[in-house]
Amino acid sequence: MPKKRETQSFLPLTPAMFHILLALADGEKHGYAILKEVARRTANKVRLSAGTLYGNLSRLESAGLIAESSRRPEVVLDDERRRYYLLTEFGREVAVAEAERMEEALGQARSKKLFRKPKLA
Amino acid sequence: MEKQSLPFSQKLFRALVRVLPFDFRTNYEGEMEGVFREQQRELEERGGFLEALKLWKETIVGIFSTAPREHWQILTSDCGYAFRMMRKNPGFTALAILTLALGIGANTSIFSVVHSVLLKSLPYPQANQLIFIRQQEKKLGIEDLSFSVKEIEDYRAQNRTLSGLVEYHGMSFTLFGHGDPERVRTGVVSANYFDLFGVKPLLGRTFLSDDDKPDAPPVLVLSYEYWKNDFGSDPEIVGKTFELNDKVHTVVGVLPAVPQYPNENDVYMPTSACPFRSGKAHLENRDMRMMEVFGRLKPGVTVTQANADVSTIAARLKAAYPKSYPNSVGFAASASPLQEELTSKARPTLLLLLAAAAFVLLIACANVANLTLSRMAKRERELAVRSALGAGRSRLLRQLLTESFLMAFAGGMLGLLLAYGSLQLLTDFVGRLSPRAREIHIDSQVLLFALAAALGTSIVFGTLSALFSRANVASSLKDGTSGAGSGRRQNRMRDALIVCQIAFSFVLLIGAGLMIRSLIKIQQVDAGIVPQRVLAMRTTFNWSKYTGSDKTAVVIQKLLDRVQSEPGVLSAAISSRYPFEPEMIPEWFSNTFQIEGRDLEPGQAPPVSTFASVSPDYFKTLGIPLKAGRLLAETDKGEAPHVVIINETAKRQFWPNEDPLGKRVSTDAGEHWVTVVGVVGDVREFGLDHPPSPEFYASQGQNAQPSTLIVRTIGEPRSMARALTRAVHDVDPQTAVTRILTLEQARYESMASPRVTASLLGIFAGLALVIAAAGIGGIMSLMVSQRIREIGIRIALGARPSSILQMVLGQGLLLAVMGIGIGIVGAVTLTGLVKSLLFEVPPTDILTFSGVGLTLLAAAAIASYLPARRAASVDPNIALRAD
Repeated sequence: MPKKRETQSFLPLTPAMFHILLALADGEKHGYAILKEVARRTANKVRLSAGTLYGNLSRLESAGLIAESSRRPEVVLDDERRRYYLLTEFGREVAVAEAERMEEALGQARSKKLFRKPKLA
Repeated sequence: MEKQSLPFSQKLFRALVRVLPFDFRTNYEGEMEGVFREQQRELEERGGFLEALKLWKETIVGIFSTAPREHWQILTSDCGYAFRMMRKNPGFTALAILTLALGIGANTSIFSVVHSVLLKSLPYPQANQLIFIRQQEKKLGIEDLSFSVKEIEDYRAQNRTLSGLVEYHGMSFTLFGHGDPERVRTGVVSANYFDLFGVKPLLGRTFLSDDDKPDAPPVLVLSYEYWKNDFGSDPEIVGKTFELNDKVHTVVGVLPAVPQYPNENDVYMPTSACPFRSGKAHLENRDMRMMEVFGRLKPGVTVTQANADVSTIAARLKAAYPKSYPNSVGFAASASPLQEELTSKARPTLLLLLAAAAFVLLIACANVANLTLSRMAKRERELAVRSALGAGRSRLLRQLLTESFLMAFAGGMLGLLLAYGSLQLLTDFVGRLSPRAREIHIDSQVLLFALAAALGTSIVFGTLSALFSRANVASSLKDGTSGAGSGRRQNRMRDALIVCQIAFSFVLLIGAGLMIRSLIKIQQVDAGIVPQRVLAMRTTFNWSKYTGSDKTAVVIQKLLDRVQSEPGVLSAAISSRYPFEPEMIPEWFSNTFQIEGRDLEPGQAPPVSTFASVSPDYFKTLGIPLKAGRLLAETDKGEAPHVVIINETAKRQFWPNEDPLGKRVSTDAGEHWVTVVGVVGDVREFGLDHPPSPEFYASQGQNAQPSTLIVRTIGEPRSMARALTRAVHDVDPQTAVTRILTLEQARYESMASPRVTASLLGIFAGLALVIAAAGIGGIMSLMVSQRIREIGIRIALGARPSSILQMVLGQGLLLAVMGIGIGIVGAVTLTGLVKSLLFEVPPTDILTFSGVGLTLLAAAAIASYLPARRAASVDPNIALRAD
């Protein structure tokens, strides 16, 4: 299992990477679904292009943060050209570490009153 | 079908995706297209031109920001892998890098010379406009006749193609007022000489047209090197005065550090300051020639046009002054680019060396490809596993190319060091062939060349090894050994590479062999003198003190008496030159003459001979034997009848069937006659490879030209140098003594060019031989390892070790014989190129060819012997158990 030090070595994640990991946190998805999910969740503020998406997927995959899933949807729903990606255990740890890092930074910003007003999503 | 209906946007997307690495595309291209299609579909539903633009912008930025990262990642991972592989095989790596370093180093160093001397334009503004003009007397075989003042005036006035025309001649004067009297190499030039070349002074000014007027105050311009070395870069030098030729000269400027053509000089003076050039004889006599002439083409004029122009002027001169240019001499004039003029002597040798160096690099490439192939045989399993794990074919090719480039790059760096180390040697060598040698250095273009050589090399051997390993990948996994079919193909490839190496080595060895044979032949030539224990020193008198012939004769006699009284001196002589004197060419001493009682037919060329002026003991001092008549005597001076001694070649050529003694000749159209009183043996005056020409020796007492003191000593001549210099200064302290050489040194120096060419070719050929022999050894060794089971079976079935030894040796020798066969064809085709550099050796010299063939065979036999012995001592039990 990857050590903590290794987890830390990925931080900070680029926004694109972090959003991809977030998109996969609740289940496996194919590329276009990831792209859609990220756009939806960020109200179109983070828009991934095909090049950026697959560049990041490639790096995340070779780092072991995500993996290709062997499970496929039912035949009628499946497009065989698509590949499905899932978040690995290590990927989850890295995503958690990144979220914690952000939270800590957020806390510090709050204590310095660098926050206007906490907004509820 | 689908391709045809593909919308334009998809096609464009596919084209864009091609900037991504192959492996990335293999993995993701389909999916990326899918995503892009979905995005397009969505866009169509929602519509909007701005949205479409935004999508395209994001897509393009995304692809172009991903591509470099992906490429870089592959490169770093390949490099890391390659370094690990190299560390795992240190022997192979070191051998490959060293081989490549030798090949690239040899090429880089020779290229630095070719680039600086032959390719780079001269370091002057619009250097391609600079031309060299020459006059010739073609029927007399004189290719480079100097110019007289009258002729220069004519060419200057009549030409239509030149924006300027300047003259140059080199002199040695003695400079006073700066420590000991010093002989300074002086360039005597037209006032606009430096303007024509476009040289701006570092300090002060160059010459003005007023400096060139008769009776102008004498001025000097110093060369950068002289100013730096002799005056410690004195910034106050301008305005200082020195005495030369009894006149006070003022320094008006210092030149920048530019190469000086045609010769390097210490100082420059305008023509009016040269006591010879400004003398009446030179100013008025059309036939008193000693100058060289350079010109600058008018803008838009070609060298061909200028050539036609000067030819026309020469024809006009011929018509106007038939006495100076009789039909019989074949007078003509021509113009050629200055750059060509300065490099023509070096060109054949340098190109030969460049070709030789290229051969060494080819051999090195073949050898490293072979080494890599042999290693591939061991790595096939590894490559197959990588392939099975998903590495695409191009990925493996890229990996192998990265490995080969890293090795070639390391080899290139090491080669560059080698080139840097050999620079001084090459500069000295080329200095004998071209005045541009001082410009040789390693600049950015040479660095680029080394890099290109490394890159080219890695592509050649990397691709060769990758191509031949790829075929095996699939089969290796299946049967666990090298695939039989492709293994054979690989072996054939390796054999072919070895045959090529041997063939190239053969050609190189032939080149080196011919040059060495030629050098040996030159060294065996009888020079016609006894050079041992003879010292020659240049003695430059203060010309202005010895104006008349009589005064000079007196000081010569005084000098000889003083030198002869020195203990340890056997005999001494004064002469205008001596055999093997550096930088002397026969043209400078050639003269036409007429023989009394022999009229020339119309159009018949007059006889030509070289002339020297010597004191009576010259022949004794140099050991030149008397063949008939008498030698010169003390009494041959002043008003006594003028006499001359001729050599045997002159006798054979001009009086083949009669006794030359008592015959009279004239060099001034019958105004004065000199009588032949003796015949001496032939001397190779201008170098051992220069056949003796007809030679006339006049008496110093009647024709004073005291340039050199020659002394035969009882003991070691060099130890006498100081005492002799003192003796010269005892007679006249204003005499500069320079260039003290023993005749053996001079003889050795005169062979420098063929010797260095032979040495460099020898080094290249030696390298090639070692590389090729190592190649044969490696291949035979691999062959034995591959066939160890078969050999074991053979031995188990009763084969004798000696027959196994014979089999392996035979295979090695077979490769060598095939290589030699191809090499012979190559050598016969190519050796015509070296013909001009050979001395009395035919380019297809049987001795050289058979010697080189035997050497290569012996090398192949030695290299195959070790693996053969290993094969012969194979234990069948162990061999059969081995996988």
